[in-house]
Amino acid sequence: MVDFLIGLFLASLIVSLFTTRLYRLLLWYSMNSLTLGILALSIGKSLDDRAMFITGVMTILLKAVGIPFVLKNLSVKFNFVRQITPEIKVQYSIMLIPAILVFTFYLSEPIVHMIHTNANYVAISISSLFLSLLLMMEHKNVAPKIIGFLSMENSLFLLGITATNGMPMLVELGIFFDLLMAIVVINLLFHKEELKV
Amino acid sequence: MIIYIFGIVLLILIAPLLLSFIKATKMVLLYKRPISIFQGYRNFNKLLNKENIISRESSAITKYAPFLVLSPLIIVMFFLPPLVHGSYYVSFVDAFTITGLVSLSTFFLMLLGLDSASAFGGMGSSREAFISALVEPAMVLTIFSVSLMAGNLGVGQAGVNLAEHFPQEHMASFLFSGISFFILLMAENGRIPVDNPETHLELTMVHEAMILDLTGLYLALIEMASSIKFVIFASLFASLFIPFGYGFGVLTAFLFFIIKLFIIAFVVALLEVHTAKLRLFKIPNLLGIAIVFAFLSLITFYVLGA
Repeated sequence: MVDFLIGLFLASLIVSLFTTRLYRLLLWYSMNSLTLGILALSIGKSLDDRAMFITGVMTILLKAVGIPFVLKNLSVKFNFVRQITPEIKVQYSIMLIPAILVFTFYLSEPIVHMIHTNANYVAISISSLFLSLLLMMEHKNVAPKIIGFLSMENSLFLLGITATNGMPMLVELGIFFDLLMAIVVINLLFHKEELKV
Repeated sequence: MIIYIFGIVLLILIAPLLLSFIKATKMVLLYKRPISIFQGYRNFNKLLNKENIISRESSAITKYAPFLVLSPLIIVMFFLPPLVHGSYYVSFVDAFTITGLVSLSTFFLMLLGLDSASAFGGMGSSREAFISALVEPAMVLTIFSVSLMAGNLGVGQAGVNLAEHFPQEHMASFLFSGISFFILLMAENGRIPVDNPETHLELTMVHEAMILDLTGLYLALIEMASSIKFVIFASLFASLFIPFGYGFGVLTAFLFFIIKLFIIAFVVALLEVHTAKLRLFKIPNLLGIAIVFAFLSLITFYVLGA
């Protein structure tokens, strides 16, 4: 089951690399966070960890519902460009993405030997980190860059819950509030941009 | 042996039903009054009663090609994984044979399009060649990675192995190859993101452009071939990627398999309503995603073993 969810996580990230519309990208980000939340819940169930349940529910509420909703409202408010064509052509992405995946899978091999439980999830989370870097790189507009930043945070969260069997809950809640602060700062930045014009 | 033959005949018989079911579901979702789901059989009957008219410009290929379009697909039907437990099946046929037979059928369809000597036929043939050339590598990669997970290169044996020992530990790579195969199912059968099977608009036609000149028995054969192609892909998907319900009793297993086929058809209809048709030169992007997922499934299986 965890394998299936982690596959969905990577698949939604890869599909979001090919999307050319903003709302569809938000939908894929929301799917990505939803699988992450369910993954946290199922790992928490298998470890019988009460704190992991809270983080899972928080992930689903905040990242899968809250942040896409806020970003959609922001995009309506500030008239974001909704046609976001990637700067890297699709032909090159098709070659680049498997190259990144192979590279990171072999890159994480020494780490995989050190960790005994859920070893290959580390490899998948590192590769999704690189893929979300690619998502940030391939767009010129601000909104997809924000999504890239957020999905990078998602993959770090995945690394956290799979490699260490759950960080202390305080740290995870701290990361959530950091994320919310980032959204607020982004909102303020847009306001300032609007004032300038 | 009787179950084997019965399964093939059953699949051929419900082939027009599935396509009419997709059409009816789409019409319901678009708030139209739906056609009867037996419309496929009515069309077949109507076409059989019409006389054959062949263009003066066309050569003998037009007479032979419809049969040669249909027959490789009928042969593929014999190589599919078994539908129920205890049925006879062909275990040694691998992905290359099935892809090759499907593309042999496509080859004769393209010849048929070129032979009619109309502008539309040539255009449709070139587009079909363009799409099917891109489909093949992804298809071979996908079926190979599934076969590796099942531990046998033969497609029939792979289906049986998957149904008996479902690879829980390879769930991630299984999912990736499933996504890839579903995109190929849409592309190869000319469903909406790639080709719209209902329109006769010259800009968007692919499949219809090649068979524009045909009537009567020949058109009936081609229509039957396209519905059988959908059944082949759907039943490959059902037995390789949804390998449950194989061990039930014979009748229950048949019923369960048909329900799986109808679920696949329903998902296809849902996607067709939900997405717009892609521009022709955007199709390589869609098939590129399929190739990425197929490759991803292979390397996830090899490197991570997940």
